[in-house]
Amino acid sequence: MKPLTVNFRSKAAMTLADAQIQQSIEHVYTGFYKGRLTAAGDTPDWEDLRTKGKAIKDHTIAHLDYYLGLLADNVEKNGGSVFFADDAEEARRHIIDLAHKRKIKTVIKSKSMVSEEMGLAEAMNDEGFETVETDLGEYIIQLANETPYHLIAPAVHKSRADVAKLLDDDYKDGDRVPDATELTMMAREKLRGVFERADMSVTGVNFAVAESGSIALVTNEGNGRMSTTVPRVHVAVMGMEKIIPSIQDLSTMLRILIRSATGQRISTYVTMVNGKRRPEEEEGPEEFHLVILNNGRQKLLEDPQMRESLNCIRCGACLNACPVYRKVGGHAYGWVYPGPIGAIVTPVLTGLKDADNLPAASSLCGACHDVCPVKINIPRMLLELRYRTAEGSTDKDERTSSATERGIWKAWRMGMMGRRRFDIGSRIASIALKPLSRNGWLTKVPPPISGWTSTRDFPAISMSSLKSRLRKRNEGSK
Amino acid sequence: MADRATFIAGVTAGLGRTEVLLPSSITETASFEDASAAKAKADKAATDASERSNELADQMAEEATKAGWKVHRASNSEDAASYVASICVQKKATSVLRSNHDALDQIGVDAAVTNTGATLEKTEHSGDYSQDQIEVSKSKAFSADIGITGVDYAIAETGTVVLHPRSGLSRLVSLAPPTHIAVLRSGEVLDSLDELFAMERNDFMSGELAGSMNLISGPSKTADIEGTTVTGIHGPLEVHLVILADS
Repeated sequence: MKPLTVNFRSKAAMTLADAQIQQSIEHVYTGFYKGRLTAAGDTPDWEDLRTKGKAIKDHTIAHLDYYLGLLADNVEKNGGSVFFADDAEEARRHIIDLAHKRKIKTVIKSKSMVSEEMGLAEAMNDEGFETVETDLGEYIIQLANETPYHLIAPAVHKSRADVAKLLDDDYKDGDRVPDATELTMMAREKLRGVFERADMSVTGVNFAVAESGSIALVTNEGNGRMSTTVPRVHVAVMGMEKIIPSIQDLSTMLRILIRSATGQRISTYVTMVNGKRRPEEEEGPEEFHLVILNNGRQKLLEDPQMRESLNCIRCGACLNACPVYRKVGGHAYGWVYPGPIGAIVTPVLTGLKDADNLPAASSLCGACHDVCPVKINIPRMLLELRYRTAEGSTDKDERTSSATERGIWKAWRMGMMGRRRFDIGSRIASIALKPLSRNGWLTKVPPPISGWTSTRDFPAISMSSLKSRLRKRNEGSK
Repeated sequence: MADRATFIAGVTAGLGRTEVLLPSSITETASFEDASAAKAKADKAATDASERSNELADQMAEEATKAGWKVHRASNSEDAASYVASICVQKKATSVLRSNHDALDQIGVDAAVTNTGATLEKTEHSGDYSQDQIEVSKSKAFSADIGITGVDYAIAETGTVVLHPRSGLSRLVSLAPPTHIAVLRSGEVLDSLDELFAMERNDFMSGELAGSMNLISGPSKTADIEGTTVTGIHGPLEVHLVILADS
């Protein structure tokens, strides 16, 4: 998927002006955010689980090379094959070639953010395979020819009328809007036929277990189960960070993932797959392929400041908690991963130059850090990226601040660091700004300070400093 | 293309090392626990399940109801069989699939179902299956009205039914038909996900890990349209859990 991070401001403005979308995305707060709060509150050892989850992920990422090797060995031992892809193009090419070789006609996809990185569904359709998204939200998005709005709820911005138009060719504006149940049943009918004829599936991976070569899939709809049952070829795609060491670790990781994602204590289905169909089974895939993708994650790994972001288990809790995401929406972020986690992962993976607005789009309130099931310190990394864009990097693809801007701040810094310089500077500023102040407030000031005063007033700078006033008072009392 | 060695060497370099370092043991992950530790945990889970069977069955009934199962507590086999029959009648079922679980034989499910006029078939085969035979069993599952299974385990914490697909228990029997009935016997309920994955890890350490495992907690559902929860998108619209009391 091509990054469009450069459009952050315009996309955000569009969403802010769209009353219907504003209402629709409120669900991430009322549904998911509040559900998570309740679920976490009902779990007595919640903080211990988060601590344990973080320890498991820290450990795995610190030994990622070892666990990747172990995982690959065990997948092969289970009769599966493993493909390591450096980038999205390589992974896409491999899966398409495999589909051609196996004479595949219909591909069912279950939700996978990594496959969005690859733009896989579109590419496979272009190659002539009938490729259908089977998660209801993803299916709606595919029909609308859009990208997911949210990690967990891809079509959260769509109204029932929008969905009706996509599912029913005969639906016209002004018709009675079907309820959610009617719409869901329409989709069920359409997708049942697709499941029955599918001969290949592409799924994501919620967790890959290194010691046993297993993958775990979490779904509510059952499309993950269909995908691991019906087609003769099953391809699972994962980012290289999605590993945990042991089967037993699943009890911790599933608990924190599911509660954080939807507020459920468990999803309707959790499917663990250890390779392909066993000979004694009546159905199940004849082939199991695991595609492990790097696609820029190397940069996160190499960077001690950003490595922690590889702990992410893609629950979406930070999106739901984020006051900025909840207003600017998922499309503003311009790539696969929106919200706070997207604001740190996207700039590193796709380039900070075009994405410098993403780390800036945060109030640094820390809500994302508070809700993260593996305690990723997102605000720290947002600040780090801001620092790099402003002055901390010498790479001109990272440092996006202009020489003038840096010059101004350098002068400011100098002024603030010496007593005399500060006194003189504030004296000059108070005199220069005096004609613009009204009743002690600056309400309208020319650029560049107009950026501040267009939305809020600024107190006028006093003609006498605190220090001089204190001196005067002390002299008086002597 | 990236071959495995090059890919992993890149990761090693990314971690600032020149060769793969064996991880040293931490307590948070179970991966450093040996087979005897895994067995001790699994044994404890099994003992617990049988010693606390009544309490866990009660909790299971409560949590399963919350998860969306229609729970029926049967006092004996006849009661369970007549409940299954009543669902067949209510759904006007003509074709029913069943798994090969002892619990189903114990309640006499075959007679109960066929007496309602429906046909009943076991999902079982012997020998190697050809792709054609697989297609036949798939289409049977997609056209069946009801799928009936026992459980391999249940989890009281979450109201979950656990199934390990194998000969006699197809992957589709609990997924494709619009109605799924699971029959649970006392003593089959584990306390929590911890106990389940302790059992799984013990199976793995002793070389007996099943090919796959499904955890099922209620009917298939989605909230992808305006956040409204709707049951029955890809899997069963309705799921019944029969909890059979100790005889």
